[in-house]
Amino acid sequence: MFSKSYFYKGIVLLSATGLLAACGSDDGSSGSGGDGGSGEQIELDIMQGKVEFNEQFNELAQMYMDENPNVSINITSVGGGTDYFTQLTTRFSSGDEPDIFSVAGPEQMEKMSEYMADLSDTDAADKALEGMLDQVSQDDGTVDALPYNIEGYGFIYNKNIFEEAGIDAEEIMTYEDLESAVQTLSDQADELGIEAPFAFPGAEGWVPGDHLANVYLSHEFDENVNNAYNAETLEFENGDQFKRMLDLQVEYSVEPVLSLDYSQQVEEYFSLGQVAMIQQGNWVYPTLEQMDPELAENGVGMIPIPLEGHEGELPVGIPNFWAVNGNKDDAVVQEAKDFLDWMYLSEEGKEFVINEFNFIPAYEGYEDLEIGDPLSQVVYEYSQSGDTIGWIFNGYPSGYTNNEFGPNIQAYIAGEMTWDEMIDESISAWESLQ
Amino acid sequence: MKNKELSFWLFITPVVLSLSLVVIVPVLMGLFYSFTNWNGLTFTEIVGFDHYKRLLGDTNFRDSLWFTFKFAFVSVIVLNIIGLGLALMVTSKMKTNNILRTIFFMPNLIGGLILGFIWQFIFVRVFAAVGDFTGIEGLMGWLSTSTTGFWGLVILTVWQQAGYIMIIYIAYLQGIPKELIESANIDGASPFQKFRYIIFPLLAPGFTVSMFLTLSTSFKIYDQNLSLTGGGPFNSTQMVAMNIVDTAFSSNQMAYGQSKAVIFFIIVAIFSLTQVYYSKKREVDL
Repeated sequence: MFSKSYFYKGIVLLSATGLLAACGSDDGSSGSGGDGGSGEQIELDIMQGKVEFNEQFNELAQMYMDENPNVSINITSVGGGTDYFTQLTTRFSSGDEPDIFSVAGPEQMEKMSEYMADLSDTDAADKALEGMLDQVSQDDGTVDALPYNIEGYGFIYNKNIFEEAGIDAEEIMTYEDLESAVQTLSDQADELGIEAPFAFPGAEGWVPGDHLANVYLSHEFDENVNNAYNAETLEFENGDQFKRMLDLQVEYSVEPVLSLDYSQQVEEYFSLGQVAMIQQGNWVYPTLEQMDPELAENGVGMIPIPLEGHEGELPVGIPNFWAVNGNKDDAVVQEAKDFLDWMYLSEEGKEFVINEFNFIPAYEGYEDLEIGDPLSQVVYEYSQSGDTIGWIFNGYPSGYTNNEFGPNIQAYIAGEMTWDEMIDESISAWESLQ
Repeated sequence: MKNKELSFWLFITPVVLSLSLVVIVPVLMGLFYSFTNWNGLTFTEIVGFDHYKRLLGDTNFRDSLWFTFKFAFVSVIVLNIIGLGLALMVTSKMKTNNILRTIFFMPNLIGGLILGFIWQFIFVRVFAAVGDFTGIEGLMGWLSTSTTGFWGLVILTVWQQAGYIMIIYIAYLQGIPKELIESANIDGASPFQKFRYIIFPLLAPGFTVSMFLTLSTSFKIYDQNLSLTGGGPFNSTQMVAMNIVDTAFSSNQMAYGQSKAVIFFIIVAIFSLTQVYYSKKREVDL
């Protein structure tokens, strides 16, 4: 009897000490990690939301660490816009704050504003191309964040198919030009061996909701994302043009539009030559290259989405920015700035940014380097010449495309809503979310 | 219990501690946050019942709730019929019983997300290919309308969970005393009569368990929903769990999402408890 109860108590005691020991050792390890900065050793914790280039980014960080042995860089990459930001805020709320983090769009910047150090004294801010810092500059001259890269979208077309059909893509300027080209493609679909002129991914709310709509909404907000962010409402001044372009793409797309998604659009239909063009951006290039290097290298081009009065202008914008956590010690902040400068302005950094990241740079000093791929070249050319339409969709109220605008457009495509209902619903959703 | 001394408390402390840390405290905090303007990091004021008032006029939430009800209703019935059918099949005298049991149970071992993608491929590609080949219109364009999205989700869920429900029914079927069946045989009962008057009533505890499991999981489905339809087209196949996640994490309305979650919790609790109460009453003691 006695021995039994002692036995149980013994187990309890043992497990309790085990538990305590486990906690103790946990505390110990995290403690030693935190105050390991004896001397000049600096740890840079980076958290960023562009997961596609994680591997290359780590390589670049390794190069930097090799050059600067006193710095150790630790990178966390999280994919998908919303997931990233949730995790970022979680880390901030739990006190495990990164030193460098990425932000996309005015809402994220507003939420993180108290943490963002002034970067106006960095060389990168100095060397940023004109207009690239517009949305991150304050009136007093501070710069909150630095651009990752430039991205642009339009109609990506298959040069071989266009040639066979006898269409010169460079001459497509107006909506009417595009319509007749699409008609030609559709008429010859069998001879060209395509299923349809377009593959329109109706399953992805962001393709019509963010990208297509941006072309027709941008000028309502003077092409400035901050105006959109602060706008109480929106008008859809160019709604008719938006409608006819959407209708055109849906009518001449591979069916069924509403279950067609991004990967089908790019990988299956476009890269295998089953459609002549898709509405996408330069970010599809790595995928195309994987599927068909020959086509990607020589067979694709990009033309703007026609907007009356702004023909030949490509929607170009900056999806992501770097911010430095101003809560940290001065030494860490300085090191973070140095790292960003080095990445975009040093010779090795530049080479890497262009060739490994496949970024279209938002900074000066890249004139001698050749921009990696043909789609990026198109985007870079348009941004150099200034024939661009600003991105405003990052200024939508949060969740607008996912939960309201995108579904409404899908309902219109499915015939569940008329166009006017769609517009009215989307306007009132904007007003209630703002 | 006299021996509630030191060792008793020591033994239950880990359970009580972990239960309160990961369940009770978060639930209470969540309840509290639903009355504030919490944004995931901090809150500045207590807004009382504002979120709950707003919920009454939220058509998206209402639609997703209605969709979830329909889904739960259909899938609970289909799941239990098929689960019981499979159980009866593999407990009858067949040579392949053990292999069949394994095969029927296997879908349950695959994660919901992956299953969603697999079935997306089947619905969108395989169905379309078969439809193309045979000319059956009904197989074309699956998941691009709300109706096909709905049935797609039902099929996926049933396929995944029927094996699990089968196992539960098998356990109860095997617990039925052989004497009863034998005496029924001697009395000359037909197979249907045996099922209707002997097996079925004795299975009642099995129904209680299976109904509870299917009902509560059908209500809370998220991953299958996310990967199969993503709520599309036009959010018409969005279930409540997904609506809550979208509100909280994509619209960044944490407190409002939390209030939806509280309402959802209450609804699921009411449904499950009512169901268990009534099923329990039907159980027969031997």
